[in-house]
Formats: sequence, structure tokens, C-alpha cells
Amino acid sequence: MRSFLAIDLQKCTGCNNCELACSAAHTKSFNPRRSRIQILKDEVRNLIVPMVCLQCEDPLCEPACPTGAISYNEKDTLFVHSHVCIGCMNCVTACVYGGIEIDPRTLKAVKCDMCWGDPACAKACEYGAISMVEAKEEGFIVRRENVDLAFQKIGIKTEEVSE
Amino acid sequence: MTFPYKGYAGYYLDIDLTKGKMHKKELEKDWARLYLGGTGVAARILWDRTGPNTNPLGPDNVLVVGTGPLTGSLFSPSGRMMFAARGPLTGVWAESHVGGYLGPEIKYSGFDFIIFNGRSKKPVYLSLRDGSAELLDASHLWGKETNVTTQMIREDHKDPTLKTGVIGPAGENGVLYGSIIVDFYRAAGRTGLGTVLGSKNVKGIAASGAQGLEVHDMDKYLEANEVEMERLRDPIWTDSLSSLRKYGTTDLVAIINEIGRLPTKNHWTGFYEDADDIGPETIADKYRIAQEACHGCAVGCKYIIRVNKGKYKTEPIGGPEYETIMAFGSNCLNNDIESVFYLGKRCDLLGMDTISCGKSIGFAMELFEKGIITTKDTDGLDLSWGNAEAQAALVEKIAKREGFGKILANGVRAAAETIGGDAWKYAVHVKGLEASGQDPRAHQSIGLTYATNVRGADHLRSLSSLEELGYPDIVIQRFGKDKADAILDIMSPEHKGQLVWDMEDLYAIVDSAVICKYGTMWPPVYYFDTFVNVIPPLTGMEEWSDPKHVRMTGERISHLRRAYNHRLGVTRKEETLPPRLLKEPMPTGPAKGGLPDLDYMLDDYYKFRGCDRETGLPKETKLKELGLDFVVKELKPKGLTK
Repeated sequence: MRSFLAIDLQKCTGCNNCELACSAAHTKSFNPRRSRIQILKDEVRNLIVPMVCLQCEDPLCEPACPTGAISYNEKDTLFVHSHVCIGCMNCVTACVYGGIEIDPRTLKAVKCDMCWGDPACAKACEYGAISMVEAKEEGFIVRRENVDLAFQKIGIKTEEVSE
Repeated sequence: MTFPYKGYAGYYLDIDLTKGKMHKKELEKDWARLYLGGTGVAARILWDRTGPNTNPLGPDNVLVVGTGPLTGSLFSPSGRMMFAARGPLTGVWAESHVGGYLGPEIKYSGFDFIIFNGRSKKPVYLSLRDGSAELLDASHLWGKETNVTTQMIREDHKDPTLKTGVIGPAGENGVLYGSIIVDFYRAAGRTGLGTVLGSKNVKGIAASGAQGLEVHDMDKYLEANEVEMERLRDPIWTDSLSSLRKYGTTDLVAIINEIGRLPTKNHWTGFYEDADDIGPETIADKYRIAQEACHGCAVGCKYIIRVNKGKYKTEPIGGPEYETIMAFGSNCLNNDIESVFYLGKRCDLLGMDTISCGKSIGFAMELFEKGIITTKDTDGLDLSWGNAEAQAALVEKIAKREGFGKILANGVRAAAETIGGDAWKYAVHVKGLEASGQDPRAHQSIGLTYATNVRGADHLRSLSSLEELGYPDIVIQRFGKDKADAILDIMSPEHKGQLVWDMEDLYAIVDSAVICKYGTMWPPVYYFDTFVNVIPPLTGMEEWSDPKHVRMTGERISHLRRAYNHRLGVTRKEETLPPRLLKEPMPTGPAKGGLPDLDYMLDDYYKFRGCDRETGLPKETKLKELGLDFVVKELKPKGLTK
């Protein structure tokens, strides 16, 4: 079954361990800037907001790609074929959640590929803030709650979360 | 690039501020092999570039900014970095470490070390980005408080993700304990290194980088790292970790008061009756709003507070650590925790060490009580114990070096000389550094730690939590069954020389790696074998898989830092304690009657350290065994080896 990451903002301490683990898994180096998950931080506003691809049901990034570099893998997760990507950033513009970015070294788009079913970031989070959930009702609720909370934290008003 | 090891960025920046020139150089292979990084490498650099003729606040002093191979390399907790120079407050070896995000970012931006030499003609700050460096004009930042400075630098670069380490007005004005504030509310506080930066007209450092760090063998390193994480996850440490995560270091206020070691009333006693008012539960219940962690840290001891109303109302800020609460709270008999938050915040914004500042104010309060100073000396301030408003007024005066603040801005040792009379009796320091939040009358080995610490009266070079909090299994593992009972007896001086010697070498590696003391000091999980395990797969330095090499490196660093001080005239005479902690028995509390047996412990320590008992000077054979021939060459003709 399709799955995605659910991040509990209340548990996140902003330690960046997920970024380190992600960069280790994908780039064989420790380089937070090349991580597919990014912690947005603003000390003045007391903000710590992890940003990662939500694995949308109806993605905006995929149709925005002029070369067809973004497609589904065997786990039903969208990922970027870096040899097809031309780094045009259309996908980055298209995504409203900051879920796809340009790798500062390769200058190609990168997004969370769920590590093919065994996400390194979730394992690396000692605070238990990141979990992999399946794409069924419970998972959708958790994802919506977390997105709502992230939006509220950034200052975007959302409706009350109802169970 | 010929520097062969991974885990390092591989470069250092040698800056001549006087000429405004920067040289990017490859890291020396032997620095990594023999000193690892951080404090070890800084000791090697400062040994060569500074000495008895160096004026700590002159252009001839050298400030080293250092990271280590573990900095930013996933190992938890490794978001640390350090600064070192000849210290303006003490005149001897000075170093200060700090967490946050700047250390890793410096490495990601392409550098392991930065060496500031000379003095810039006008205010500048250093900007590092992806392997290149620039000295940028800081005229518009000069005089600004640390938070505003950080925001302005980020604004200058239009980059809200920039990591910074900056000084405040105190460091610019020559307060001898000016700090360097990293990422808003983390401080490299001790020994006045912010003031050394200020004396060089350097406002700070900003870094941003996508260079990343390569690893010698990623799979093996991740495996080794996981082994160490498993040690930390052992259920026996769950209590320690959940305490750190829930309360941060504030829990120590309660724990330490319980053993009668919480400095109270300018170190007069170790027990504070109102400790609950400034303790962990009060803070967690009323003010704590979030938990935070430094880069890559699984401990997460940092916390955020907010005060909603009253005169100390504040927007969310980093909460004060144990030492700050002790220095402005119990030590000054101030049980108003909101005022303690405020005083800590002001020190951070002004860029001043909260320990030295709080201790200087506590010292003044005692002189005021004893009648050695009066309102005539204090610009009219009523320095009665617990007067938070007077504390707040003094903090501002100290930062500006104004009126009575000018005297206290030099620390208690110099202030006692200026004030004269019996003032020296109440100046609680070693080598000029105000004592941190411990007391040897309730914990023998911390007396030896204070006395032998190369930077002065402070716990961070060799504090042992093994008998402080009681970890029998660890003591048996490390020192054997025979010695365990004596070591675990917090008031026995027996084997404490060996204990402190062992800790000092362990922390020398920790401070070179560079990692946090949490995980090593408390809970006491990581040990020499940790580095045997993780350094080789990270760096490719095969020597480091030999436990002897790791131990010897710790010893080498300890000896080199000691030698640095010997060259400046430090011997056994200076490795002592202030009269209050050495001769006045603990007057109240659980440790009542306690006194440290310093001489006994020092004898033991020198034996293990390989030093002469009479003078504390190193044995020539020991230095040579550690490959410190260059030290022998310089110390021997001066009669400073035995």
C-alpha cells in the first residue's frame, strides 16, 4: 500500500537528525542542505516546522515537469529521475507545500522517495516525531492534523481540526 | 587536496586581520592524527603562536575557532564547537564550547578551523559560504545587542538560515568575561573570548554551506554510530534522559541542592532553602513552552520559556541553564525566578558570561553585607542579598563598564585587588575564573577539578558525576572493584586523583571530537572505547582503532594545555582553591562540616598525570613518551620540566 510521512510538530525539537540521516541515505554524505526533509526554523518567531513531501493523491509537481522526470516507483511513491531532470524548477514552483527542492550540488530536483519503504529519517528521529503511515483513513487524518498544525504555526489560519 | 581524512572539511582559514588578508589552507594531517580537532588542535596552534609575552587583548593574541571530526557528523550529541585563546580574565589558557548550529554549519561551509590573528582597523564580521570567506564591514552592527546583530546579519545576506556567533556590547567594551552568542541563545560564555574577538574588532562569524561532509566508510560508520546510540538508549539511562528532556539542566537545581552543593550566598554554603522557587518544577509548570535540541542531538536539553506578564514579561526565549539560575539565583539569594530569566536574557543580549557576571555581583553583595563597600562605592545601589533590581542595574553597568560596574567587569580577582582590605577573602575563583555551580566541600573530586582545570574554577574539564550521582557499575567497570567503594564515597579523597586524571583525558577527547558533555559526563555512557569505535570509520584514521592511541591522545592534549600554562608561570601553587572553599567548613545543609582534602588528591593526581609532586611540573620522560618533544625543548631550558 501507498504510504507517507506523518510528522508530529509537538515532538520535533529541530535537531536536524532527520536531515543528516536523509542526506546520508541519498548522498552518502552529511549535508542537511541536500536532505529531502527540511526543518524550517525561526528563533525569533519560535518556529520549528519540518517540511517534507506529503505524497499528494493528486500531485502538482508531476504534471508541471516538462521532461517527465517525476514518476511513480514500484512502491507507488513519486520520485525524480535525476538523469531526466533538467533543473528547471517548475515542480518547485508548482508545489504549494515546499515538498520538492533543488539539490544545491547537482542542481536537479529532489523529493522524498520514502527510501523505498524504509525511511531513514523516521529511524533517526530519537523524539519519535516522524512516522510512516499507510494511505488509508487513519493516515489521512494524521496527515491533515499535522499539516494544519504546521500552517497554524507559520501563521496561516486553518479551520478547527475535527476528528 | 592532499589532506587524507574524511569527517573533516579539510581546510582551515588563517586570517590576518591587521592586513585584512585571509589564507585558506589545507588541514595538517598531524593535527588530526595527534590532536583530533577542537581543543587539541587549538592547543597546538596556540602553543606555537602565543606565549608569555602575548597581551590577551592585544593584536598579538590569537583566537582559534574550532570544530572536530564528529561535529555535524550525525553522532549524538555533536552540534558543538569551541573557541580558544590566551584568556583576558585569567591570563592563562582559555577555551569555551557551545552548542547550537554554527559549529556544523562552519564545517558544511568548508572549514574546520578559523584562526584570527592581529586586529582589524575597523569593525568586521566573517562570512563563510561554500568554501569561500569574506571579511565584511560591521560598522552598522557595532554596539548592537546580540539578537539584533544576528537579525541584521541575516537581513544583510537575505538568508534567514544563516548560522551566527556574535558578540554584544560587553565584548566590545572590554568586559573581561564577554561571551560569544551562537544562534540567539546559546553561549560560549566562559573566560572572556567574546572580549578577545571585540579587541580584534570582530563582531562575529556567519556561516552557510552546502559542502557537506564525506565519510570514510559510511555503512560502517552508521553501524558504529548505532552501537553508541544503543548504549545511550539502555533503559538504565531512561531516567537521566527523560529528566534532561523534560527539565533541561534546571533539574540540577533540585538534585544538587539535595546533596548540599548548590552555591548559595556567594558560595558561603551549599544549601538554598528557597531552591524550589527557582527549581525545575516551578519552571516546567509555569514558564516552559517547548523543548529544543542542538544540531544532531538526541538528548535535547534546551528549552524555551515565556513570561506572560509582570515587569519581566518576555517573548519566547531560550530558558536559563542551571549555572545561570545558580549564579543569579541561589548565589545572590534571589528566589524570584522571573528576575533570573530576565538577568540571563540581558547577559545573552549584552554578550556576557552569566556565571562570572552573577558571581561578581554575588561577591559585591557579600562585601556590601560585610560593610567593605557601601552605597558610596556602588553608585547608590542597595546591594542587599536578593535585590533583583540592583542586580539588573549592575548587569547594565558592567556591560557598559560604567561606575561600579567598571570594577566588577574585571572579575572578582581584579575587583578584590581594586577594592582592597579583606575583599580577597570573598573572591571565589581559581586562576581568576569565578567558580561555577559546584562546591568541593560537598564533593571532594570537584575540588581537584577546580584546582587543576587549565582554564580555572570550572567543572567542564574533569567533573565526575560517577560519585556525585552514584553509578557503581560504571565505577567498577572503569576502576575495578577494589577502588569502587572509595571512589563512590563523595566525601572520600581516596583515588580521586586517578578519577579526575581519567576524566580530564576523556573530556580532552570529547572537547576535541567536538561533542557535548551530555552522554559522557551525564549520563556517563560514552567512554574512550566510543572513539575507538566511531573515529576510524568516520575519518579513516586507522591508528584510532587502537585504544592506547586514543588514551595517549587524551593525555597528550591534557599535557599540552598544562604546559601552555606552565610556560606562563602556573605551578602547584596556583593549582589551589579559594580560601572559602578550602578552609571554611560547609556551614549548613546536607554537606555540613565538609572540607576538601586538596593536597592529598593533588599528590595522587600528579602521580597519574606524570608530574612532579612538589611543583606540579611535567616529567620530561612523560612529555617525550607523548611525542611532545617540542614542549620539552622550550620548557626544559627554563627549568619547567622535571
